[in-house]
Amino acid sequence: MTGRNRRGAYAASACALAGALTLSACSGGTSPDGTTVEEGEPYTLTVWTNYTTGPGQDWFEEVAAQFEAEHENITVEAQHVQNEELDGKLQTALNSGDAPDVFLQRGGGKMKDMAAAGQLLDLTGTAVDAPEMREKLGEASFEALSIDGRLLAAPQLIQPGGIWYSKDLFAEAGITELPETVEDLEDAIGRLQDAGITPIALGGKDAWPAAHWYYFFALRECSAQTLEATNESLDFSHECYERAAQDVTDLAALEPFNEGFLTTSAQQGASSSAGLLANHEAAMELMGAWQPGVVMNLTPDQEPLEDLGWFPFPQVPSGEGDAEAVMGGQGGFSCSASAPKELCGEFLALMNSEKHQEGFYEAFGTIPLHDDAKDVVTNEYDEQMLDALAEASYVSDFLDTNYGQQVGTALNQAVVELLTGGTDPAGFVSAVSDAAARS
Amino acid sequence: MSTPEHVRSDVPAGPPAAGDGTGPVPSPARGPVRAAAARTARRRPVPWRRWLEILLLAGPGTAVFVTFVILPVLMAGYYGFFRWSGYGPPTEFVGLRNYQLILTDTAFLEALWHNAFILVMSLVMQGPVAIGIALLLNRRMRGRSLIRVLIFVPYVLSEVIVAIGFSLMLHTAGAVNDVLDQAGLGALRQDWLADPDVAIWSLMLILVWKYIGFAVILMLAGLQGVPDELREAAAIDGASYWKTQWYITLPLLGPTIRIWAFLSIIGSLQVFDLVYVIWGQYVADTAGTSTMATYMVANGRISGAYGYGSAVAVVIFLISLAVALVYQRYLLRRDTEGALTGGAA
Repeated sequence: MTGRNRRGAYAASACALAGALTLSACSGGTSPDGTTVEEGEPYTLTVWTNYTTGPGQDWFEEVAAQFEAEHENITVEAQHVQNEELDGKLQTALNSGDAPDVFLQRGGGKMKDMAAAGQLLDLTGTAVDAPEMREKLGEASFEALSIDGRLLAAPQLIQPGGIWYSKDLFAEAGITELPETVEDLEDAIGRLQDAGITPIALGGKDAWPAAHWYYFFALRECSAQTLEATNESLDFSHECYERAAQDVTDLAALEPFNEGFLTTSAQQGASSSAGLLANHEAAMELMGAWQPGVVMNLTPDQEPLEDLGWFPFPQVPSGEGDAEAVMGGQGGFSCSASAPKELCGEFLALMNSEKHQEGFYEAFGTIPLHDDAKDVVTNEYDEQMLDALAEASYVSDFLDTNYGQQVGTALNQAVVELLTGGTDPAGFVSAVSDAAARS
Repeated sequence: MSTPEHVRSDVPAGPPAAGDGTGPVPSPARGPVRAAAARTARRRPVPWRRWLEILLLAGPGTAVFVTFVILPVLMAGYYGFFRWSGYGPPTEFVGLRNYQLILTDTAFLEALWHNAFILVMSLVMQGPVAIGIALLLNRRMRGRSLIRVLIFVPYVLSEVIVAIGFSLMLHTAGAVNDVLDQAGLGALRQDWLADPDVAIWSLMLILVWKYIGFAVILMLAGLQGVPDELREAAAIDGASYWKTQWYITLPLLGPTIRIWAFLSIIGSLQVFDLVYVIWGQYVADTAGTSTMATYMVANGRISGAYGYGSAVAVVIFLISLAVALVYQRYLLRRDTEGALTGGAA
């Protein structure tokens, strides 16, 4: 399932280390142009994905079959790698100059590192960069995957985050209006607590679910300009960052989280935070768009949770950020430095065509990027997310992705400290700033 | 531990060649004379056939060891001088900056302190108990084999299984707290894994539970080497059971205890999997159970800072090496003397 276990990426296999140690050759060069395959010349296009589910692989086979039919003598060879192992395997392959032609790209700091090492093909001017593609998939998603005007990956999806909740439990606690401001949210927390319901499920063990609370408070507290500037400078001196930390502290003071949240994992088993939501043992969880699939696997009968609902992160009173700003994971596909450039672009263009984006939604349940594919969306929360994206004044990736692994990890750990009272907002900001200075 | 002192010194000095028809001749000259002869023999040029034999027998093992142990250690030393994200070759040389950061990072110093705590507490908590159990199991009694097996079972279990089991039981909403509640001992409820004051003790107890079986087996094996005659003699002299243990058994168990302590110390310095599975990749710091190894993974691989992570690995290596050498030099010396070729020289 694409993007589910998004952060599982960090649990990359030990191959990463092995790869790093046996580093032999590298695909160097600062601006690789890729290779060319003459028409009719036989070529095998290798593709690495994280599609481990049946419907996902079927969808891919369909894309590959059409591509092979349209291109003489071209074979598409896919390797569907388990999500947690993909990054390590990829890193080894990229470093040893043995990379697949096309591979899943998570963007952010990792993409920056790959680009800096000259491992990515510039897709500017290829079929996937065509004006109508940019228009249909949205200019912003192209920008998110570009560095210095070079398109380093073709966008495929966006998974906005928001608060997932149980409609039944909200009704039980007498909550009739969905929270729009943090005050509303605090009110809802109070009502749920009065009704003996754990208000918020939190998988603190994985750190990033806890950190999401900070990211979203920062999205509301800080203006788009400030956030964008920090992505570049890693300077956290703007006071909105400390205010966001204060918001997290204030929220934690209400003790809205499940008991033992620090050692609760996010997605594994019924005792995980997603499991608590799936089994009606907690009313809300702040999570990305992959949540319905995760929750589905954790319900007693492994069926979709009937009363699962979604609402955007509430606004804070002192916020400089827009209430409509959206944060979510963005991703796509990159081509490696030695891949055939034109062919790659055509393959990615086909993958992101209206028809296949519709298939993608059906196979993965992830809202499509392609404008014309959006009419297949029927689900209430998927429609809400599409609306939110359509109205969004600003779309940001998750902060840890933006800041790169080193500062991102430090940020996530610092939020955990903040939630458990191990540090205060000022200490939090200085911890993150220290990590930024070190990186 | 090989007791015959000169067995190992036979290796280089042995019969001139395996194929010369004389075969190994048991030498009447055991002891220092033989050892001296060995040293003289080594200076003679070794025939090429002998070299071939050495190469054939030791070659593959050496090659694997060099490739997968020595080389990575050297590479880590090299990477430690770079700021490197792991993509492409390392190019940004930073000198000793990584080391400077490590040694001034409070998170690392805390992790080091946790390792030290685990090291001392493992010795203190496991040693006496293991010796006691071994003494008990060394006596004839009903169900002895069963108890031996049961005590050894945790050691055989995979760390990951143990860690998952304990993390479910010790979770705030887990079985341990539930049992306490049911037994009317709700006041004893703890946040076993998340409370920084309690978590390190939870880890200690899991470690003891997990590794005591190994200590017991070692001690039991050591007890087999204590001759019954000595106990009988002590009994004839009128020594009580406890006196016999204190004056006869324990001193003779010395080499076993020293070896066990050595293994325990090295293990304590490298604790990783239990912590990593129970507390995950991020929260060990917060819970106060981080170790040098979890610090290395969190700040190296997970942070995508391979240069920094390599430097941490080097620091851990040096600390372990220093501890091991000091221990060898001052405590294990008596046990290994003569057992290693040229060890006495």
